[in-house]
Amino acid sequence: MAHDQRRVVHGDDHQHAPDLEPRTGPVLSLEGAHYAYLGKYPALDDVSLSIDRGEAVLLLGPNGGGKSTLLKVLAGLVFPDAGVFTAFGQPVTEDALEDEQFNEAFRSRLGVVFQNTEAQLFSASVRDEISFGPLNMGLDQDEVRQRTDDLCALFGLADLVDRAPYQLSGGQKKRVAIASVLVMNPEVVLFDEPTAALDPETQAWFLELMVELHAAGKTIVVATHDQQTIDRLPARGIVLGPDHRLENSSATPT
Amino acid sequence: MDRPASRAETDHGTGDAPTGVSRAAPEWLVRPQVGLCPCGCIGRRSRAGFLARTIDGLADVTRQAVFADEIASRPGLLQRLDPRTKLLGLLVLLVTASFAHQVVLLAALYLLSLVLAAASAVPIGGFLKRVWLTIPLFTAFVVLPATTNLITPGEVVVPLGTWFGHPVGLTLQGLTGAVLLVSRVAVSVSLALLVTVTTSWPRLLEALRSLRIPRMFVTVGAMAYRYVFVLVEVVTDRYTARVARTVRRERTKAGRSFVVASAGALFGRAHQLSGEVHDAMIARGYVGECRTLDPPSFQLADATAAAGLVLIVVSVLLAGRALAG
Repeated sequence: MAHDQRRVVHGDDHQHAPDLEPRTGPVLSLEGAHYAYLGKYPALDDVSLSIDRGEAVLLLGPNGGGKSTLLKVLAGLVFPDAGVFTAFGQPVTEDALEDEQFNEAFRSRLGVVFQNTEAQLFSASVRDEISFGPLNMGLDQDEVRQRTDDLCALFGLADLVDRAPYQLSGGQKKRVAIASVLVMNPEVVLFDEPTAALDPETQAWFLELMVELHAAGKTIVVATHDQQTIDRLPARGIVLGPDHRLENSSATPT
Repeated sequence: MDRPASRAETDHGTGDAPTGVSRAAPEWLVRPQVGLCPCGCIGRRSRAGFLARTIDGLADVTRQAVFADEIASRPGLLQRLDPRTKLLGLLVLLVTASFAHQVVLLAALYLLSLVLAAASAVPIGGFLKRVWLTIPLFTAFVVLPATTNLITPGEVVVPLGTWFGHPVGLTLQGLTGAVLLVSRVAVSVSLALLVTVTTSWPRLLEALRSLRIPRMFVTVGAMAYRYVFVLVEVVTDRYTARVARTVRRERTKAGRSFVVASAGALFGRAHQLSGEVHDAMIARGYVGECRTLDPPSFQLADATAAAGLVLIVVSVLLAGRALAG
């Protein structure tokens, strides 16, 4: 792909980086995407969708329909066998993500919370887990410490910061996983079954947080089966059918 | 840079938030954050490091298993045989290969394995690569010292120089022994690979049990096979999650730390999982026997294969005696 000659911005001056991407139009766009696991088991078939900046989207459909795969494609973690994926106005390919600046820009703008929480937690302690992303972004130590403390307080993890993530309960792990993504303050957040493993009270609170984040301008994509999420998050619904194709999308009642 | 004041610090435990969870998101989280850098390429490349390559290699384990399952379900010569026939045949041919002391006989057995592979719809290119890129090559390195007159005295055919005043070189006897050993390993690996890729894993385990292999060994084999894929999935998922939050190019040291931390966590996870899976199996009546639908049964093809096997073994032994005489 063509490389444009934009300025590389590192370290503390990231807050003053010129934001050259278009402020209107789709923030994520997928055209005619096909994907098959191991080249054999189809997961996405001719999927095209467009998500606008600041939009909330619910990704619905039966188990095995390809929702998690679609989120991984949107997160630039797997790449379609055919079709084009564009994010923030730029085509996202394996090759493009090998470009240092593009990788930094993409990963810092887009966060993903996985369905399998177990796999998402790889650090030695909750504090290390939550601070991994912002440290990677090059934020200064005080800023990282503050953000980590804020989110530990927000997610009720303050007493668990020195515990190993694998020692936590299912709901606690889920909260750490969500906090470890939100701490990077991404512009776009992809959630795969975010309320699974959370108790009803925490679920209700977390849905309010999602609504608040959406109201603050974040683009939110949620793959879910949870009726409470579907009912409470004002979002456009997209349905991936059992044939791995998109069915008609619609706006859900607010 | 100014640190955003956190509303979380001042607004605790209200509404329907769980106990100990503050209600409001911190201000910095609901404030747009200017991008880390412009969203475009600059041409400075960051190639996959050792960690990415290692994880890719692990993921390849799953790909190979899926491919092997696919081969086992193809219509082919060995796929038609009862797994017990194949296992016994493998055992007999391995013993025959160990009694063959002429390279030409081992070459004939190797040729037989290639013919069987072709007749069983096993892709020959991949078959050759899997055999020759692994164990025989490793064996060749191991036997290399034994080809010199320092280990195997005899007629020096390739002089290499002197060592502490003694002439050193490769001997005819050493080289012959090395070629024999490598050929034998190649034949053995090829035959074993043929049996494993043309037989599905549950059938193979069932055959092992019916051949009176102790239950403990079969159970350990079954569990190990299952865990390989579970653990490979855990490792690749963890790595994927890490990539999703890795903004800048990783240093090698950070990659090593991740590998060490993952190994520890994986050990703990494997230990926990083994208990959970075993409990689940026992809860559904598992007592150490692998059972499948459509139990294997000996057919005419098995009798024909057994007769062919006897013919091959007798031919090899007679040819070996004739060549030695």
